[in-house]
Amino acid sequence: MPKATQYKTNSVIFFQGDAGDKIFILKAGKVLLKSNDIETKEEIKELVASGEFFGVKSALGRYPRDETAQVLSDAEVLVFTVPEFEQLVLSNTRIIMKMLKVFSNQLRRMVSKVQNLISKGNNKDLETGLFGIGEYYYNNRHYKQAQHALTRYLGHYPEGRYSAEASELARKAGQGAGKTDSTDIFAAAGAEADFTPPKATPAPGSVDALAAKGFFEAVALANQEKYLEAFKIFQKLVSTNADPEHAAKAEFEMGRCLVFLTKYDEAIKHLTALITKYPKHPDLKDALFFIGRSYQGKGDATWARNFFNKILGIAAEDEPVSIKTRKALKELEGAKA
Amino acid sequence: MTLDLSVFNRFAITKKAGDIIFCEYEPGDAFYLIQSGQVKIVKIVGEIEKTLDILNPGEFFGEMALLEEAPRSATTMALTDVKLLEFNRANFEVLMQGNPQIVLNLLKLFSKRIYDQKRRFMILNFGDDHQARVADVFLMLEENQPRPADPTDVVRVFPNSAEDIANWAGLSVAKVSEVLKQFANQRRVEIQQGKIVVKNINDFTRFVKSKRQE
Repeated sequence: MPKATQYKTNSVIFFQGDAGDKIFILKAGKVLLKSNDIETKEEIKELVASGEFFGVKSALGRYPRDETAQVLSDAEVLVFTVPEFEQLVLSNTRIIMKMLKVFSNQLRRMVSKVQNLISKGNNKDLETGLFGIGEYYYNNRHYKQAQHALTRYLGHYPEGRYSAEASELARKAGQGAGKTDSTDIFAAAGAEADFTPPKATPAPGSVDALAAKGFFEAVALANQEKYLEAFKIFQKLVSTNADPEHAAKAEFEMGRCLVFLTKYDEAIKHLTALITKYPKHPDLKDALFFIGRSYQGKGDATWARNFFNKILGIAAEDEPVSIKTRKALKELEGAKA
Repeated sequence: MTLDLSVFNRFAITKKAGDIIFCEYEPGDAFYLIQSGQVKIVKIVGEIEKTLDILNPGEFFGEMALLEEAPRSATTMALTDVKLLEFNRANFEVLMQGNPQIVLNLLKLFSKRIYDQKRRFMILNFGDDHQARVADVFLMLEENQPRPADPTDVVRVFPNSAEDIANWAGLSVAKVSEVLKQFANQRRVEIQQGKIVVKNINDFTRFVKSKRQE
């Protein structure tokens, strides 16, 4: 049972730095919490409202009090042990939610203060940061991790600054995955890690299972060059409209898979329909590129060139798709010579 | 304490060893409770992957995403095959109704994390005073270990390496080794195989306190 305790004016309930495992509720009187700002060292004073808890964080987190609780006028407080406090709040979950909100705000603020100290003048933007993770794992030949990170990058930034590089690295990582040797981080960590390559091949015949795998899994499959499996999932996603958010993307991906499966006629048909259906498709230029690729694959250099030149007409010079296109045009020239 | 989590089966997901669960810099909208297996928390600093923590069943991660939309501050990876419960803000209410004890554990975790971050800030805030940074890391480690049975005993043995200290102090291992050597010359510490002995923890407390008042 929580204990009611009386404190006289000017007495101190606990000092900053004290070890303490009790939690308090102010019933009557005035209590002031004094602490110092960790940055400016300025004194922070905060009056406890009647009915409010104090001393919660240090008791729950088992660390020294970070405030001094001083009694300004005769006070009555209820003193709880941690188990007593738990019992109380478990029957009133709203208190937990309220505290969680306050604590999470404080935590967020502290984390960003620490981050500021760590990375002074070294602030990466999120997109660069995420791509950097994929790149790091790729460079260190942790292909599975690279593939995961790059697939995530492509999911968040399909039209991003590094998307061409990211798809290229993800594809290469897909080839490399499974070849990871015993110098892998997991072996080093001494854990019983399982090094079989990602078992992405779904159970045959189970179309619903395929659809359930979702858009990004399919992108991952495509990155591992499992184009047929990927195509089936994209197709299922499109036909069932299971993932409306990514439906247009999935249609584009279907076309891309067809190209890689060397089904050029189907690819051209599919991608042409796509462009007609979504004249403002975010992957429009890439769709044109893959149509060009299909013609190139069919040995139809004239049409391939037509499409490639069209891309160069509408895309900025430094866009990844322009770079790919110029390369493809050069290949065509090479084939001619 | 074992919790009956069967009501949350629809939130269960599995990951294979080596799978990334989420990446640093990704927007965060879910948090996780480990049911079985281990999860590694890493951060790529410079060109090195640093392991920040290894988590076990019953532990949470990604919890910062819960109440505020913010990018992930670290990358998490399955260290073994793992089974996780995945919650987001939308189904957090379900968790709350179904098992307030979990949410209370989360509250405890937040309390502890706030303090850890605060301590980390205080250490880093010594800036170029590397001695103060390293000494304060020992004080922080001291705060996290049980008090000795004999309160007059001032010797402390820390089962840590220079790498651990460097990680906490936010300094390079070379810098920390240099500082430890200085401390050893002053007979404040003794460096032994796999452990560091602080001869008088009160000496470090005074040292850090005086630095903090400067």
